[in-house]
Amino acid sequence: MPLRVKVRNAESGATVDMELEGENTIEDIIEGAAGYWEKDAGAYVLRRGKRLLRGQQTVAEAGVLNSDDLELIPDPEGGG
Amino acid sequence: MSEAIKLGEIDEDRLDRSRRIGWLDVGKIVKSRCLVVGAGALGNEVVKSLVLSGFKEIVVVDMDRIVRSNLNRCVFFREEDAESRLQKASVVAARAAELSPTARVTPVVSSIQDIDLSSSPRPDVVFGCLDNIAARLHLNAHSYHLGIPYIDGGTNGFAGRVHVVLPPEGPCLQCGMNRSHFRIMEKRHSCTGIEASFYEPKVPAEITTTSVIAAIQVREALKVLSGKSEDCIRHVAHYDGLRNRFEILETSIDPGCPMHSRMEPHDSQR
Ligand SMILES: [Zn+2]
Repeated sequence: MPLRVKVRNAESGATVDMELEGENTIEDIIEGAAGYWEKDAGAYVLRRGKRLLRGQQTVAEAGVLNSDDLELIPDPEGGG
Repeated sequence: MSEAIKLGEIDEDRLDRSRRIGWLDVGKIVKSRCLVVGAGALGNEVVKSLVLSGFKEIVVVDMDRIVRSNLNRCVFFREEDAESRLQKASVVAARAAELSPTARVTPVVSSIQDIDLSSSPRPDVVFGCLDNIAARLHLNAHSYHLGIPYIDGGTNGFAGRVHVVLPPEGPCLQCGMNRSHFRIMEKRHSCTGIEASFYEPKVPAEITTTSVIAAIQVREALKVLSGKSEDCIRHVAHYDGLRNRFEILETSIDPGCPMHSRMEPHDSQR
């Protein structure tokens, strides 16, 4: 049974609905959302509430539920 | 007869106002050793805050030279330094000593990959003030292995991040990374096959966000050294200066992360 979640773009506030299977990984969501918004090549993380979800986990392992709100956040690489 | 107080004496102690912060262990701070890796934007600000906070033993590592485009965010660099292409680490060390003449700031002009963290004297805290993921992972691995607190900063324009890693407990920096981080790393390596620095994107950077992130890095170190680790950021703070957001987010131990290979796979938290 597929899940439907809402992914928010932390930089623009835009959202996109995404349909997921339990075996999809968090990395799949990150890549799907970054691709949808044509984000610059860069590192991103995905949060659910106060937790950052581990990339390698499946949606089921990460405990992502139907109707969850997730957020795609850029992970800043600079500093030099 | 009791000893008389001397008027104005307290104003002769440069750390008097720090000592008035009850929980701050100034005695421990002045005896602690810091390793600052990267003498660019974050490195300048971190070293500035360290010497003003009373740290006296600081090693700053960087192999690069100063260029004019560094001057919008590096408090210790001057026009003439850029003209002469001086070494970043050497200039930071010299100018930091002007701020606090009793501080010993030692420059090391070297790549982080050539630094041996296990050699003495061992640092009490390591600061990541870097501009690439490969160097961060290297520093994270060595610090975690040696049980040294590692406080990593990152910026991009008005956005920033501070990650606090407190071995032997809790997740490390690598635990919070995913395929998007490793893709960026590979993209850099693929350019030369040897060195990660060939493909170096010009990341947007300015002083206000740099200052915020570096200040948080040093503040977390002050907590760690003052026995307040339980009040540290757990585990990563994301800052968005444009949208006025500051959020603390938890990560979890990745059972596949080599830093925790001897641990049972679970979502252990510190
Ligand atoms: Zn780890």
